Amino acid sequence: MSSFETYLLVRAQLENSHTLEIARGDGAYKAFSKVLETSMEPEAVTEEVKKSGLRGRGGAGFPTGLKWSFMPNHETDTRSRYMAVNADESEPGTCKDRVLMREDPHCLIEGCLIAAYAMRLEAVYVYVRGEYRLPYDRMQAALDEARAAGLVGQNILGSGFSCEIHMHKGAGAYICGEETGLMESLEGKRGHPRPKPPFPAGFGLWGQPTTVNNVESIFNVPFILERGADWFRTLGTESSPGNFLCGISGHVEKPGVYEVPLGIPARTIVEDLAGGIWKGRALKAWFPGGSSTGVLPADTLDTPMDHDSVKGAGSMFGTGAMIILDETACVVRSALVLARFYEHESCGQCSQCREGTEWLEQIIARLLDGRGQSGDIDLLTDLCNGMTPGKTICALSDAAALPVLAALRHFRSEFEALIPAPAEVST
Amino acid sequence: MIRITVNGREIEADPQKPLIAACHSNGEHVPHYCYHPGLSAVGSCRICQVEVKQGERPARVVAACRTPVAEGMVVNTNAPAAHDSRRECLEFLLKNHPLDCPICDKAGECNLQDYAFDESQAESRTSEPRRTLEKRKDLGDVILLDQERCILCSRCVRFMDEVPQTPQLCISGRGSHSVVETWQDSPLTGNYQGNLADVCPVGALTLKDFRFQARVWNLSRVPSTCSECSRGCSISAEVLRDGEVKRMRPRPNEAVNGYWMCDVGRFSEAELNRSDRLGPAALRNTAGELVPAELDNALRVVRNLLQTHEAPLILASPYLTVEEGQAVSELAAACGAQAAFFSPPANDLADDVLHTGDPCPNRRGLEGIGLTAMNAEAWAAASAGTDCVLLVGERLLDLLGDTALDDLPISQRLVIMECRRSDHRAVDVAIGVPNRVERSGTWINVDGIEGSIRPARPAPQGIRSTGDLLRELGSTSDRTEEALSS
Repeated sequence: MSSFETYLLVRAQLENSHTLEIARGDGAYKAFSKVLETSMEPEAVTEEVKKSGLRGRGGAGFPTGLKWSFMPNHETDTRSRYMAVNADESEPGTCKDRVLMREDPHCLIEGCLIAAYAMRLEAVYVYVRGEYRLPYDRMQAALDEARAAGLVGQNILGSGFSCEIHMHKGAGAYICGEETGLMESLEGKRGHPRPKPPFPAGFGLWGQPTTVNNVESIFNVPFILERGADWFRTLGTESSPGNFLCGISGHVEKPGVYEVPLGIPARTIVEDLAGGIWKGRALKAWFPGGSSTGVLPADTLDTPMDHDSVKGAGSMFGTGAMIILDETACVVRSALVLARFYEHESCGQCSQCREGTEWLEQIIARLLDGRGQSGDIDLLTDLCNGMTPGKTICALSDAAALPVLAALRHFRSEFEALIPAPAEVST
Repeated sequence: MIRITVNGREIEADPQKPLIAACHSNGEHVPHYCYHPGLSAVGSCRICQVEVKQGERPARVVAACRTPVAEGMVVNTNAPAAHDSRRECLEFLLKNHPLDCPICDKAGECNLQDYAFDESQAESRTSEPRRTLEKRKDLGDVILLDQERCILCSRCVRFMDEVPQTPQLCISGRGSHSVVETWQDSPLTGNYQGNLADVCPVGALTLKDFRFQARVWNLSRVPSTCSECSRGCSISAEVLRDGEVKRMRPRPNEAVNGYWMCDVGRFSEAELNRSDRLGPAALRNTAGELVPAELDNALRVVRNLLQTHEAPLILASPYLTVEEGQAVSELAAACGAQAAFFSPPANDLADDVLHTGDPCPNRRGLEGIGLTAMNAEAWAAASAGTDCVLLVGERLLDLLGDTALDDLPISQRLVIMECRRSDHRAVDVAIGVPNRVERSGTWINVDGIEGSIRPARPAPQGIRSTGDLLRELGSTSDRTEEALSS
């Protein structure tokens, strides 16, 4: 088994790691204190995060520091500014933020505080998936403790720096994990994604400058500030530095959440960490980063798990949540499961997504029901191409179409097998 | 203003408005459903896709309704990629559409039908069962909703939220389960519901009033001005070949009504189709009956009445145009009469949207030419003090009320120039005049903005224009006979 440095889940090994006492004993809030005590320029904090090369862990892999730097200049734009932490982890297969919030909520709070310092935020909103009861409760308890200890609120640790952190519980819609849908939801409206532009940095929550970051992205920030961007770059790859949490699920012996460096071969995760394919079976297919990333065939398992490499293999790194299908799995059925999910979760604003997700589900269901028709595969392909790329307000349409296209690309024969041969024409 | 290039032509664009507005104002049509120039843009239907090239970046297909214009932007609305995107979008929109155009009131002016014809393939590729939803959902007195035809563009929702600012509609459900409805199926209220049928780009929201009444391609549209308050909204009067006014719809006019009109104005068309129209002329005979007469005869009688009575009262309808009002003034001057226009009391329909509450569409115009406004009390006093009264113009009898004539002195001579018949015993002479869709002229609205009315159909046989009739009454008899004999 390969060895590598870990940091994300180190504290989580401690008993009661979610309490302030244990977390602080383990060094929580040290990075934040350092920022406060050394009176770092907020822009210098952003610069450090930029230098680290940290890429967002919410799926798109956008550089976090760069995103922060999109916030307007505080001297020319005096509006209140906010951050929303996207903890609405709803992607099928993705389950990493749950672990972070449940086991080490203080690290997330610390990350929020540093981000708030760097971007001069007035408040941070943590939008937690509604079903995440224990992580929510742990976050809330940690927040209460931190506030009581003077770490959150007005004049933190006597430094003059103030920041509020508010918890918000989602109500179960996948679309509220889309950053603009999340903001709408936070504002008390339906989680309908907003067209961009305007972008959140200019017009976000309540029309104010806003940054939306994933839990794991923010979770990395205290480590970067404490140990330095150069240290961070020693982990992972050149273009995707750092470690990430790989939530691996499906047909493996030991599904779970593992901390690994970016660029680690997918095979290492499957075989060394997750105990290999279950029941001694062979791998058939795998999703590299959650249900929205295109399925890949078994022979790509040596692909390094980083943004560029997975993209090169024809899929997306996404949230790094691998879903493993063994040789007995039916790719078409897995496509149906996902199509059904997206049909259920489409918000219904855009024509292509609203109608397309339903149509894809109907066709795939019909195929599996023995009512396939010649032309169905071409139709599926055309419909998917009509739904992607970038034809809709948000990426849900793409997320619904790309996995079907990938399944058709790599496992076309499984679809074809479901279409009855044309009846013999007797003369 | 910034300069962009659309389909090879350089045009000026307002940077405050989205790309689609720049295209439309320069005659380059971009298909759209959710976009409406009078509402906020949500960019959800995705039909308005055009190809845009900016600087060195490769051309990309964008939704024109949510794309800001930028200096030097090069737009191709007909690029193959844009066309393909729109075609795909239409295929999705038509997937669950009931395709009941043959029985749909919107057919002929339906954007879904039009764009499908322009851009889509003729064959449907779906073999899945289409969604079945409520076909006849009652949304109150004005509107009927067909949820199956709805393409969920949310224009209706935004209209209610943003224009009358009485949010009553919503999209409930999610994804393919979305439907437009009202809260707990409560009926819509307010004076602006009719606009919902206009903003609906498909046949989902239809007017109960217009349902199955006419095929829109059989209607001719004439630009006109609404008569129901002093706002004077710009409208189109839509008329069947037989002259029946079938529909009144708002005509965009940024300065007056934007894109909207109120229901009171919209549904005033019934009054225009009334069957109790007055013929060219009627005179009371020796038996005391009001019987049809030659117009020339009637005019001669009226001319005589005006010349032989001292200080007759000429009361004009508030619906008279500036030009007709001028003729009233001139006639009054010629025969020493007192002239005024009737000013009915303000009603309680005033709001912050369009309706002013003042039922006189041409108050500013009539006052401007020196006619005084006469309310019911002043009318009662003035009419009691004269032996001869001439009432001029449509709907004046309705505004005064039949009882107003009851109090007139027995000896008094009463001439009406009206659109509708009256068999009131006080009427001595009746002369038919055209109504507001049968004549032309100018009204001046509450803000001093001119609005034209134009004939949408000819006046009934033998009915001459009010202005002509008034001028003839004011001329000397000799000249009239000269004119008649020549």
